[in-house]
Amino acid sequence: MPTNLPGRHLQSLRWRLLRTVGLAALLGLAVSTVLSYRQAQHEAEELMDGHLAQSARLLLALASDDPQQLADLATRLQTLDRVGSSPYDPPLEFQIGRSDGSVLLRSPHAPSASLSGKTGYTASEHDGGPWRLLTLASTTGGYRVQIGQSIKLRDRAALEVARQAVLPNALISPLLLLLIYFSVRRGLKPLDDLASDVASRSPENLEALPGHGVPREVQPLLSALNRLLLRLREALNKERRFTADAAHELRTPLAVIKVQAQVAQLSSDAADRQHALRQILAGSDRATRVVEQLLRLARLDPLAGLPEPSDVDLGELAQQVFSEVWPTVATHAIQLQSDASPLLVRGDAELLQIVVRNLLDNALRHTPPGSTITVCTRREHGDLLLAVADDGPGVPPADLPRLVERFYRGHETLAEGSGLGLAISQRIAELHDASLEFANLAGGGFEARLRWRESAPAAHDFHSARRPIE
Amino acid sequence: MRILLVEDDAMLADGIRAGLKLANYAVDWVRDGDAARLALLDHAYQACVLDLGLPRRGGLSVLEELRGRGSQLPVLILTARDTSADKIAGLDAGADDYLTKPFDLPELQARLRALLRRAGGAAVPTLTHAGVVLDPASKRVTHNGQPVTLSAREYTLLHDLLRHKTHIRSRGQLEESLYAWGEETGSNTVEVYIHNLRRKLGADFIRTIRGLGYQLRDSA
Repeated sequence: MPTNLPGRHLQSLRWRLLRTVGLAALLGLAVSTVLSYRQAQHEAEELMDGHLAQSARLLLALASDDPQQLADLATRLQTLDRVGSSPYDPPLEFQIGRSDGSVLLRSPHAPSASLSGKTGYTASEHDGGPWRLLTLASTTGGYRVQIGQSIKLRDRAALEVARQAVLPNALISPLLLLLIYFSVRRGLKPLDDLASDVASRSPENLEALPGHGVPREVQPLLSALNRLLLRLREALNKERRFTADAAHELRTPLAVIKVQAQVAQLSSDAADRQHALRQILAGSDRATRVVEQLLRLARLDPLAGLPEPSDVDLGELAQQVFSEVWPTVATHAIQLQSDASPLLVRGDAELLQIVVRNLLDNALRHTPPGSTITVCTRREHGDLLLAVADDGPGVPPADLPRLVERFYRGHETLAEGSGLGLAISQRIAELHDASLEFANLAGGGFEARLRWRESAPAAHDFHSARRPIE
Repeated sequence: MRILLVEDDAMLADGIRAGLKLANYAVDWVRDGDAARLALLDHAYQACVLDLGLPRRGGLSVLEELRGRGSQLPVLILTARDTSADKIAGLDAGADDYLTKPFDLPELQARLRALLRRAGGAAVPTLTHAGVVLDPASKRVTHNGQPVTLSAREYTLLHDLLRHKTHIRSRGQLEESLYAWGEETGSNTVEVYIHNLRRKLGADFIRTIRGLGYQLRDSA
């Protein structure tokens, strides 16, 4: 189970549902219980009043002046009294008398209220508590009957009735809560299933989550998750491919270093050993270059834009790289052709120099000695171009679209490079909103161009603001 | 012992070549699949060290064509491709051994020795004939138990003759085995080395078959 985070219950949908639905149900049950209780109590009181009136009428019917009959009645009531005592049958106390107030017969604990008062229900104090009295007068004779009940006992009976009426409610409430609990659990099960599916996954498993059985409300979340998983999968695959390629690319110089070191170790010839040692150094340089380029690419990759762009004149940039490179090249002729007017772009001069150097490097490696390489800047239909052209054999058309792929080397080529130079140049071009193009030239040779389109939205404002009047 | 090395990386090829020369092999080096194909058609090699990622024509294609011709040439694949699938594909295409870069030079030498030994139909690591014992691993030769000191060329020549005990080896065949491209020297050098071997191992150890070449004497 997941760890218990503080406040986890506050965020849990299940807990919230359980709490609100449970509380609402309990509140409803409580209100209904109170109402039923009151109603039951009221009905019980009315019932007992009816009981009181019935008894009073019966006694009134039995009332007479005959002492013998009255004594007989008293005896009979005495013997019948308290047969089968129950809370619903509180003892009755009574007085039978005449309308002038004289008493003919009274029960032993009857309240001694006057019989000559007004008829109907009255309240009175007797025996240390309130009583409810009913006084009836006969319509024919002058008889009166007063019958009384202790309010305390009446209340006890009424309470008992009400209690019995609401008892089922009390019993139902835990059952109701249990039912709510299971319904909520069942309702949220698809979410739980989804959660446990995600939780049980290994980091390698980035397959889409299954959509069946998922409620409509969760579908958008699921789609979003699956889109994220897809992007992650792609990113991870790209990363893996890159790592594999990088490892492969480092392997060759490492193999060189190792085999030459062993040659140096095993060889007894001094000249052979010197040669092997020189090759070891060259191999380390090569490995270093691959690592540097990998690092450069790794640093450029996550950038969303240039950190500190400034105005760069392409002509000046080309001039700078050209003057650095040409003294070091003995095998090729290198020339510079620049547009007379400044070609200003917004960018990072250092990164753009890397591009020019990479393109020059490629031209040097892929053309036979004696070839001419031209670095040039020019304007073409409003586009700004920085290009490196050569008069070498060109690139097979099938290879053209794959040139910027990382670690891709032409099918025919024997030249050695990290295979990363053009991938880096491509990334730098992207950061500058420029495009990197390659083409075989009609008259033979090959040209790589960095092009800033006039219509490019990011560069447009800048160009229209900065371009000198033509 | 002449070996074809097919490797597109010049620096690595330089190292492998130097390493194989240390083991007295004559090494021809080509950089792409097409050149490898032509070299294999034109020359008799004792073994081939083959890279897989080659320009123009892949190493597997070179290998399949070689086996398609029915060639028994021992081939060792030496590549940076190190997955099981790559190894299986290489071996199933007809390679006799598979080694991944970076590799150990002594291991490459040992594997080549094993390939050459088995190609000669022997499982015993040493070659023996009429009291002469040659151990390719240590490059040591003894005659009736006494160590014999040989130059690299003499050793290579003796090795070739011992590998083909029952055959008559022509001067051309022996030259092919002795020299890589660009190393061909004077026309009577084979005779010089044969003379030296006879001096060190006994005059009748190597017989001259007039007009055909040389053969080891009967071991009886």
